[in-house]
Amino acid sequence: MDDILLAIGFGLVTAAIIAVSTVALSLQYSVTNIPNFAHGELMTVGAYGALVAQRSTDNILLQALSAAIVGGAFAWAMNFFIIQPFARRRPRNLVLFILTLAVSLILQNAVLIVFGGSNIGFSVPASDAQQIGPFIFTGQDLLIMGSAVVIMVGVHLLLRTTKFGKAQRAISDSRELARVTGINADRIVQLTWLLDGLIAGFAGFALAASVGSLSPTIGNSFLLVIFAAAVVGGIGRIYGAMAGALLIGLAMEVSALYLPADYKVAVAFALLILTLLIRPGGLFTTNRVVAR
Amino acid sequence: MIDYAVSTLTLGIIWCIFTYAVNTTWGWTGLLDLAPFLYIAVGAYVYSVIVGPPPNGGPSVHWILGLQLPFVFGLLGAIVAAGICGLILGGIALRRLRDDYFSITTVVATLTVYAVIAQFVPLFNGYTGVYGVPQPLVKELNLSASAYQVFFLGLCAAVLLIVYIFMERIFKSPYGRLLRAVREDETAAAAFGRNIYRVKLQAYVIGAVVAGLGGALLAAFLQAFNPYAWNAAETFLIYAAIFVGGSGNNRGVLLGALFISVVVQELTRLFVVIPGHPDAAAALRYMIVGVLIIAVLWWRPQGLIPEPRDHDEAPPDPAGVTPPRPLETAPSDV
Repeated sequence: MDDILLAIGFGLVTAAIIAVSTVALSLQYSVTNIPNFAHGELMTVGAYGALVAQRSTDNILLQALSAAIVGGAFAWAMNFFIIQPFARRRPRNLVLFILTLAVSLILQNAVLIVFGGSNIGFSVPASDAQQIGPFIFTGQDLLIMGSAVVIMVGVHLLLRTTKFGKAQRAISDSRELARVTGINADRIVQLTWLLDGLIAGFAGFALAASVGSLSPTIGNSFLLVIFAAAVVGGIGRIYGAMAGALLIGLAMEVSALYLPADYKVAVAFALLILTLLIRPGGLFTTNRVVAR
Repeated sequence: MIDYAVSTLTLGIIWCIFTYAVNTTWGWTGLLDLAPFLYIAVGAYVYSVIVGPPPNGGPSVHWILGLQLPFVFGLLGAIVAAGICGLILGGIALRRLRDDYFSITTVVATLTVYAVIAQFVPLFNGYTGVYGVPQPLVKELNLSASAYQVFFLGLCAAVLLIVYIFMERIFKSPYGRLLRAVREDETAAAAFGRNIYRVKLQAYVIGAVVAGLGGALLAAFLQAFNPYAWNAAETFLIYAAIFVGGSGNNRGVLLGALFISVVVQELTRLFVVIPGHPDAAAALRYMIVGVLIIAVLWWRPQGLIPEPRDHDEAPPDPAGVTPPRPLETAPSDV
């Protein structure tokens, strides 16, 4: 019983990190309709941004901020210099998908060249472990979960109450119609990428802090887990992304009790495939627009 | 030096076979299959356990079979096993998924199989993999080591020739046109009474079979196979080969695969050396491939040798870049 509670505790932390990253991915996927396989690298460059910041400051907030800014800058540049010029030529969507794969390959190996391939220790100062209900969390875990909640609420408010959020939802439904009604779609898409990068960069920081070290593949190794959470929750649905992340995070950690740890990701993938087969629109939605 | 050239060329030829596999699925049918290495690995493993000996390295070494049959059976087994895997995965993933979801499913399936093979030791000996696979006809021929290398190169070239002829026949046949029709406009092809699902699944299985055949040759070349031999990034190399050479064109595929495997992979290995940084050269190579993919898609999306035009149609664009279509245009002929 204690094992299960412990696993659930881990699962909640994992879920918080996945949830933050998934919200960003899901939002970007629904607005631009491009499955971004460089999303993991946005997390990676964010984490390394925090590492660089850590060399000159002990302030966690500044480290997190630098992670977000680095992630955001890369995402912005990726859309501005690569995706958008191609998108103007109206290629098949899969071509844009391939571009993100190429960007992922470039970024991951660039990080490898600059910082080397070995694991680099990364720790944030944390207070003592605290017992909350049946779970025991370190201060670091609490910080991660707290910031995850703040980001969720922030994204929710952004989507529901601002014009930017409204425009995003309009573009997500139909870019052509949004354009006709006078929305500057290119600008909204560009800002969406920026937002995606900011959040992904922060998620990279949280992941590195939680794992305690970072390597050039840290983000990429989580990429498909994040896709799994996004698909399970339904692409473009913020609450779905949270629920999907919770389900995937818990399933991964609890399964590790019964199966070798390397099967953790396989469990997430099984959930992804099952969702696609049974309810491709996501488990927590009612529409089935993504099914053919 | 000659040995090196022969082995580089052999590997290049095996890469050509991989690239033909992906050309069938992506180049002609427009399916972005990110699982080619799944079929390559299945082919390699099945070949290894059919041709290779039973495990004898101590109590912790396990793999199934170890039949020590002649290599032809190994090739057949690899083809059948890869085909069955393609039928299962394609049969599930092609049925109702949108194209980007299909791609995600193929990646995920590859990683899942990878995890299982690496973890479940009794199947193919986990991370250590299967080893001691004898080379085809090595005992019967009794050649010197370098003469045998040349013979093996010839063997691979013969298999490549068969694959090439097979692909040319498909390309020129009505069936090849059907595949391209599905790529260009699924709805139109369906309107002409074609079963899109079946056509895609057939193309997908053909791709899997060819990839499995290539995988078998790879295992014969390496004489061993383990999970480290299939890195996800290798899939990009195959796609880079297709984009550079010209997707949909059989000669373009040949050119692209040799360009990537010989020029990009080997020449950079020789000349780009960064002292004190062992990973950097490989990383730089992958970066070059990434930049190459983007550059080719931007400046020459049809590749160096574009797909030959079908008679009086608008030129199909192999990388899938289609000009904006006026609303009133009827679906193109198929």
